[in-house]
Amino acid sequence: MTIDTRSKGMSKRRETREWMPTAPPQLQTATIVSREFRPPGFWCVGLREPEIAKNIRPAQYVAIDLPGGFMMRLPLGVFTADGEHFTLIFQEWGDRTTRLAHMAIGETVSFIGPLGNEFALPRAGSNAIIVAGGLGISPFWLLARELHAANVNTTIVLGARSKAYIVGARELGTHGFHIEICTDDGSDGFHGTVVDRVRTMRRAAIMYGCGPPGMLRALCAFANSEGVRCQISMEETFGCSMGTCWGCVVAVRRGSTQGTSYPKAPGEQRDFDFARVCADGTVFDAMDVVWRD
Amino acid sequence: MARLATDGTNDMRIAIGSAVLRNPVIAASGCYNRGAEYGRITDVSRYGAITLKSITRNPRLGNDMPRIAAAPGGMLNAIGLQGPGIEHFLAHDAPKLADVPTAVIASVAGFTVEEFADVAAAMDGLPNVVAIELDVSCPNVDREGQCFAADTQSIAAVVRAVKLRVKLPVIAKLMPNVADLKPIARAAQEAGADALCVINAVRGMEIDVMRARPILANSTGGLTGPAIRPIAVHAVWEVAQAVTIPIIGTGGIEKGRDALEFLFAGATAVGIGTANFRDPRVHIHVLEAIEAEMKRRTLTSVGALTGLANPDFAGQKVAAASSLIRDEIR
Repeated sequence: MTIDTRSKGMSKRRETREWMPTAPPQLQTATIVSREFRPPGFWCVGLREPEIAKNIRPAQYVAIDLPGGFMMRLPLGVFTADGEHFTLIFQEWGDRTTRLAHMAIGETVSFIGPLGNEFALPRAGSNAIIVAGGLGISPFWLLARELHAANVNTTIVLGARSKAYIVGARELGTHGFHIEICTDDGSDGFHGTVVDRVRTMRRAAIMYGCGPPGMLRALCAFANSEGVRCQISMEETFGCSMGTCWGCVVAVRRGSTQGTSYPKAPGEQRDFDFARVCADGTVFDAMDVVWRD
Repeated sequence: MARLATDGTNDMRIAIGSAVLRNPVIAASGCYNRGAEYGRITDVSRYGAITLKSITRNPRLGNDMPRIAAAPGGMLNAIGLQGPGIEHFLAHDAPKLADVPTAVIASVAGFTVEEFADVAAAMDGLPNVVAIELDVSCPNVDREGQCFAADTQSIAAVVRAVKLRVKLPVIAKLMPNVADLKPIARAAQEAGADALCVINAVRGMEIDVMRARPILANSTGGLTGPAIRPIAVHAVWEVAQAVTIPIIGTGGIEKGRDALEFLFAGATAVGIGTANFRDPRVHIHVLEAIEAEMKRRTLTSVGALTGLANPDFAGQKVAAASSLIRDEIR
């Protein structure tokens, strides 16, 4: 039994993985090698950069500097990575994602990465459930690959508002794990939310979640009430992506190793600290996240 | 014109009071946290100095989310001075300042004159700290009508109180949201400020039209980035006619050409903030562009660029030629 301290929130828990430092972030250049539109509004863009393809860990992301005078980099989780290539899966919804979606093959982009912490892995032979809402699938190809290699029996629950919005299932299926589809409108698979579906499933040693805040909150509430360990990868608007600007904080339980643990000001009443999603996360333990209204 | 260097190399040094910086490019407060993060991906030593995120007396949780919004040509932020407070800072962060590979300017924020003075005094003497910057103008914290930088008497009181307590040079950071910056700048100089940082973020707001509510949890925020550059250049231009102390021109600098605008308007040094996020090597590009401009104009001292475009520039043309530097060169 060894202690996994790569994910700071995990430091006091038992893990099978030996400690292995993540590669330090670097300022690098990647070449666009493929771009594929996925209706109704998603893109999967492939890039070539051998270091990141080799070193990226599940839930880590890159911060991309796009041409066009944008003030902030675009942070995107790495979806797949193989050989010298990695892919990003995203929805075209703003100026920066539109710019990336319409870059030509052969163009280069500057990026910083790998950034962020990573998911912890359970013991070999145990069970895990991956719960993804929509584009929340993005960190799970890398995680599923690790879980497969670690001989962790994994079920993937993938949800979206309707069948058309299920994205990335094709790639995720390549690891051979069973994928359960859930749709809010019943147009495919289970008619209901991913958390509704997970409630009916056999208890796992660990659950992993990524998706919209409402889904993550419900998943954490379920996991905590059942006493099941759960890690979620969160999203916020990042300013710097480096942990310097404090623009992307999330409330975590006081005492969490990921929070600031600043002392309280005189007369201050609070049972949480802030943590930076970009640098202390993006992975947080369900037990640590404080959902404030 | 100043041609201080005798060995043919450019003299990039500038002086802020008794502090001599290796070059005039400074990381602005709030973008470099406490100095550690960017060292992983860029050469921080190429900065003349980095300015720390402002520290207050008490710990501050900061504002709720969202704290950041993209804006046309810039970024709107309202972090709310999140920070550990001076005691925690001294115990946990201050020792690490010794690892910062360049000079450090400690930024101090406060809500009373005494708080400014106490926190500034605690910063005096920390490793690598060469100057104290007073964040008398942070527009993000909800204290409307109490902003020190909006009133000549308030800014003078803060500067005077801090000067009595610290040996290091003191920089007052001016807020652009005032009718006339010149009397405020003059008041800061007369109270003993060794330099001025011009300008802080410009107050701004964005509204989510779908929800009919402000985007930022704090409603208002500070606008930074190139959107504010012409405002900042003009502010430096005006202040440079009103004071003789050095000015750190800050606001929307993204490249060397932008920095030159500030120097020509009358700044002795330039601050880079938001642009670090997009390009962590921005300071190196800016520095090299300044050196190229000196070469083009056959100047050997960076101070000779100061005020070139400003016929009413009131400061000394040769900002680099403080007696301290002259002594060193001799």
